[in-house]
Amino acid sequence: MNSITFSRRNFVAGALGVGALLATSACGGSAGGNSASQITWSTWGTPEEGQRFKTFNTAFKADNPSINATLQMVPSYSDYHSKLLTQLTSGTAPDVFYVGDDYLGKFVSAGVLMDLTPVVSGPDAKVTLADFNEALFGAGKTDKGIFALPNDCNPDVFWFDKKALAAAGITENPAELAAAGNWTIETFLAMCAKLAANGMTGAIFWNYWSTHWSWVTANGGEVFDSAGKFVLPQDPKSVAAIASLADAFANKSFTVADTLPDGSGADSLFVSHKAGFYVQGRYGIATAEQSGNKDDYDIAPWPTVSGKPGSSGVAASYLVINAKTKAPKTASTFVGEFLSSKGQTLRLADGGNAVPSVKGADSVVLGGNYPAHAKSFLDMTHTGFEDFSKEASVPGLSSDVSKAMLSMYQGKASAGDTIAAVSTLIEKAV
Amino acid sequence: MTAVLAKAGTPGAGLEERKEAGWRKRDRWSGLVFVSPQLIGMSVFVLLPFAVGLVLAFAQWDGLTELSWVGLANFQAQLADPVFLRSILNTLGLAMITVPVGLALSLLIAVALDRLRGRTGYLLLYFAPVMTSSIAVSLVWQQILRADGPLNEAFSTVFGIPGPGWLSDPRFVLLAVSIVTIWSSLGLNVIIFLAGLQGINPTILEAARVDGAGPLRTMLAIRLPLLSPVVFFSTVVAVISSFQTFDVVFILTKDGGPENSARTIVYQIYDEGFKHFQFGMASAASIILLILTLVVTAVQLGLQRRFVHYES
Repeated sequence: MNSITFSRRNFVAGALGVGALLATSACGGSAGGNSASQITWSTWGTPEEGQRFKTFNTAFKADNPSINATLQMVPSYSDYHSKLLTQLTSGTAPDVFYVGDDYLGKFVSAGVLMDLTPVVSGPDAKVTLADFNEALFGAGKTDKGIFALPNDCNPDVFWFDKKALAAAGITENPAELAAAGNWTIETFLAMCAKLAANGMTGAIFWNYWSTHWSWVTANGGEVFDSAGKFVLPQDPKSVAAIASLADAFANKSFTVADTLPDGSGADSLFVSHKAGFYVQGRYGIATAEQSGNKDDYDIAPWPTVSGKPGSSGVAASYLVINAKTKAPKTASTFVGEFLSSKGQTLRLADGGNAVPSVKGADSVVLGGNYPAHAKSFLDMTHTGFEDFSKEASVPGLSSDVSKAMLSMYQGKASAGDTIAAVSTLIEKAV
Repeated sequence: MTAVLAKAGTPGAGLEERKEAGWRKRDRWSGLVFVSPQLIGMSVFVLLPFAVGLVLAFAQWDGLTELSWVGLANFQAQLADPVFLRSILNTLGLAMITVPVGLALSLLIAVALDRLRGRTGYLLLYFAPVMTSSIAVSLVWQQILRADGPLNEAFSTVFGIPGPGWLSDPRFVLLAVSIVTIWSSLGLNVIIFLAGLQGINPTILEAARVDGAGPLRTMLAIRLPLLSPVVFFSTVVAVISSFQTFDVVFILTKDGGPENSARTIVYQIYDEGFKHFQFGMASAASIILLILTLVVTAVQLGLQRRFVHYES
């Protein structure tokens, strides 16, 4: 057996060699994939959503055998953008990635996204600009180009529990009232008061931009004007709307889902028939299914002062291409297929948790005939609005505003103080 | 030294010296290679970030676009921000709870273990949380501290009233964070104190016993004063460590707790930098934390002369 002499010189040379190897490998970070046929894409989501994305990846690979699309998933939405920022700063961001509506404006104005106009134009485009619902572009579309396309969306609808309403002695059906143009805020508040009087929660809301601003617009108010100025404090209807919102939370007709204790959260309340309304998106199907009898539940749009359908918030996420991608053509192919009617159907069919953002995929929402008034999802998407560009252009502003609103929802701040606090936040940030 | 001088006067000494100089040169290079991982690590992960942070504290930068110089504006904005001021108060409050309570408990346990047979088993038990990832520890405590968790179950069984909202009631969140912090750092201080107790010269203890000092008297007059350098060291480390609290707050409260009731300075730094993309503001907060830590440590060093006794 030969012995190996391990001299100090060998050791030093070896150490330097290993060091150099490690140093060069550490410097090897790049923007996403490393060849024209390889891309990485990232998103946030639950394991169930991850499974749907993997299904899409498999189908994409079958249609495009020469392209390898690698998925990077981050479980938490709140951590996703922090990670994305560090990746973009260090030049290691994926080629294609999701962006939430509350961060979109920042990424667009920073110029780190590729113009997607070529992706949605031309004879070979899998999806065209005209296929998308115009209201969903939000901060992704500027006069310089289209930098983000909506993946899918979720209009906040009023899920209602027929059993709970009946138990409170309410005989009218909100969905039918809406269809007849009689779904007024007055009727809704009266229903909530009856529910509260019978020991139930009137309505459960999530604390985010769609809740605050949809209530204002439903009451005929204005949040930002067309020039992007925060005009809510100067608009009497908006101020009155915020005051009525504060009152409804104060008299326990409304409850904020975010602060409900563990073990008796919003889903538990709703499926145990202890709440009349639960305002959330298409993912409410999963909540209704938990009850064991999903036919107890249906959906209605936001009530309005007149009772006629109005405009309410539609949450959306966006797909973008990294401006520094080394595979722009491959990334464009991926984005086109991901957002096409076929791609969205693949991702959202069979109880999926969102509403398609393009035409031609309505069957995803209507196909299962559930909920009974599922068409409201599509109607509300067409008439709804995205988070306002001014708010979406400042990272963290939307969540800061929601924190200020939460104090009011919890009865710790008056409507007037809350409007003043929100005004200060927006003025300071914008 | 004498040998070298003797050699210098003998024939052929120049050659010897040259040989030795060659050795020393090679030794120097080898030494550099051996310490280079530390030097590189220190430069890349400590000195460089510190320098960048110092520069960014005077700039506005979102991580994506060009930075612009703003002078002292970031410091002014931070010191005028009620949320940041709240985070300073929370950080100081956390230190005021976790440092004395944590050290007192550790000392008690160390004294109890000092003469105990089979103390290695106990030490392993106390040290286990120190070895466990703070994320895992926080996740477990998150379940324990739930409104309907085992702690509140026990609370309502014993007292007949519902337990507090440890993580939802602003009055209790900082206390909850303190409990987890104390629990997870207890073992390290126990080990340090135990080593200090066992390092006390037994002849001094024997002399005290012969002079008629009982266990309490020995503890107060001999062991505690002789342990004071160790207590001082642990206090300095514990204060600095409590000023850097982040992970427990991040996992337990998600966003610094209701009404920012558990938001610490380091959480504020993370929030400014990675949630609001304001690295200038985050860096200014870091510099303020550094100054605060230096001031508190300097005060501790000043007090050391009065309260710390060295055996020599």
